[in-house]
Amino acid sequence: MRNNSLYLIIKRMRTPIYVLILTFSISILGMVLIPGVDNEGNVYHLKFFDAFYFVSYMATTIGFGESPYEFTYPQKLWVGFCIYLTVIGWFYALGSIISLIQDKVLAAQIALAQFQRKIKKMDEPFIIFVGYNSMAKAIIDRLTHDGIRSVVIEKNEEKIKMLALENYSIEVPALAGDIRDPHVFRMAGIHKHNCKAVVSLFNDDVMNLHVALSAKLMNKNVTVIVEATEEEYAQNLKTIGADIVENPFKIIAKRIYLSLKSPSLLMLEQWVYGDPLVLRKKDKLPLEGKYIVCGYGRMGTALEVGLKRAGIDYIFIEASPKKAAKAKRGEKVIVGDADDKKILLRADVQEASCIIAATKDDLLNLSIIMAAKRINPDIYTVARENRINDAVVFKAARIDRIITIETLMVKKTYNIIARPLTDRFIRLMKYRGEEWGRHVVDILKERISNNPDTMETVIDDEHAYALVEHLTATEEETPYEILYRRRDDYTKRNRLVILYIRRGEEEILLPDDSLPIKVGDEVLFAGDKESFEDVEYIMENINELCYVLNGKECQLSFVGKLLFSGKDG
Amino acid sequence: MNLEKVISGFFIILALTMNFGFFYGDPTVLEQHNRYELFVAIIVNLIATIYKLGDKTHLGAVLLATSLVADIQLIAAASVWALGEYVTGLNIETVTAIVSLSGGALLANIVSVILFTGDVLKSKR
Repeated sequence: MRNNSLYLIIKRMRTPIYVLILTFSISILGMVLIPGVDNEGNVYHLKFFDAFYFVSYMATTIGFGESPYEFTYPQKLWVGFCIYLTVIGWFYALGSIISLIQDKVLAAQIALAQFQRKIKKMDEPFIIFVGYNSMAKAIIDRLTHDGIRSVVIEKNEEKIKMLALENYSIEVPALAGDIRDPHVFRMAGIHKHNCKAVVSLFNDDVMNLHVALSAKLMNKNVTVIVEATEEEYAQNLKTIGADIVENPFKIIAKRIYLSLKSPSLLMLEQWVYGDPLVLRKKDKLPLEGKYIVCGYGRMGTALEVGLKRAGIDYIFIEASPKKAAKAKRGEKVIVGDADDKKILLRADVQEASCIIAATKDDLLNLSIIMAAKRINPDIYTVARENRINDAVVFKAARIDRIITIETLMVKKTYNIIARPLTDRFIRLMKYRGEEWGRHVVDILKERISNNPDTMETVIDDEHAYALVEHLTATEEETPYEILYRRRDDYTKRNRLVILYIRRGEEEILLPDDSLPIKVGDEVLFAGDKESFEDVEYIMENINELCYVLNGKECQLSFVGKLLFSGKDG
Repeated sequence: MNLEKVISGFFIILALTMNFGFFYGDPTVLEQHNRYELFVAIIVNLIATIYKLGDKTHLGAVLLATSLVADIQLIAAASVWALGEYVTGLNIETVTAIVSLSGGALLANIVSVILFTGDVLKSKR
């Protein structure tokens, strides 16, 4: 497979080389056979070497003149014929080489060979993205910022050309190929041990299932992250061992539920996904009154669960009778176009408190919102935005809450890959309830600011050299409290909160200050840039660690072990 | 019948026979070895080499190797001849060098033909 381009060149060049050999041998033979006359008038024959020498410079149009003696007319006649013969041979060969360079098949083969070389040389962890869409692009963008490498497999060559123009700070190798061919997966390096995850965010659930299945079969250690919007596919994916199955609609439904029942948890979740830690007035969904949900598709059914759990009165409008027929008995579903005024009136839009436009058509969603607002200007509007590109129009429509599915998927996938602790934290906090959520929000706001950052780290040699040295050298317990201390004044507290610690199987949310540090802990911090810097210094630098521990500078800093053993004496 | 097989077989065997024709004779007497025969042997060997190029099988690779050996030996023989004629003069030493070089090429060509026939016999139809 590797040397295909070379074989292609050889195969294509065979005929031109035959032509060259033949024209040369005919010319040489003729030159040897035709008699000439030397300076004294004797008849002589060119030797093979003379003929070879002469033809070589004649054919290449270098032309050193006639040698060894001036040619007779019969010889000149033959040379005249040979010039055209050999020059045509040369030009034919040159032309073949040039057309070969421009050949698309060869170019594809060379690109493939380059791709394989890049994959082979890659020794840091990398993520394979199947399909290069706007979501994949946004995720790759964020990952390259964090220094995580990505590889793309995409069917459409035009999209790969677009990728090449993207200017990522780390190179993103891309392969043009159909994922249904198992070879393609292999070429992208799925069998390599440093292939950490495969991400497949197709709109098509079947495609995602296919990717997950082949990825898991080819390398069972790889994490498979796929999107599944329908329950039966989600079940299938789980049985074949896909590690993370994402359903954007479930996330949306959960958020709607959270904003109705526990706004603090919603605030935390939105904060983790990148929003500030505040709840604006327009973020608050009306708690009373009737909800109209337009679209009883994948999102509609997910919302149904969330709204029912929150105890909200709701009604659906669905254009397709087939989808509407799927509704369980007792569900109120009106069949008809949701942007039709009559249908909206039938759903009592003038008295409803909230309308959710949840169809998969962005334009339809917009026109639903516009129509509903015209009848009831006070209604709270929620719209589903399917494509990131439509953001400008949605912004202009002054909708209270826009749910962008693609952005949601991008943030979620990014968190799973690059911030696993954060992702786990969101999952765990949901079981704690509103009260706990408010407590966390209060702590974060009080100790840090309205928009803290997060940082994930591991207490190990690589990330916390000094701390690990200290922990192994001294037997005494060191509490997490020392990480809160400031580098310039250890009595003061940094703007920092430890949100979550994973210690093997054990998981600790909001750990106590006195909790002892153990090697191997994975820690999620919230704080600001400066405090993160302090924490990193304290963990990695023996001097800094020594200072925050004892409140004074240490001597003998260059011998870490001596320092710690001699500290007490 | 595959025309390409006919042509490649033709050139491979012709390379051997021409080579033998040149090699046959008293190795110390240059008059018994025809210069035209050496010329044709070189050309035919080159063509046979090109035919063997681009075959991805293991056998194809070995065939190509034998052909390359024959080419190098024959071209070396021709170079020694030209050197002897124009520079050092044709003494017995040079003449034997020419003939024995072509003898080496002959061996390579024999191996090539054996491999080729073996491959043909192996593919039962």
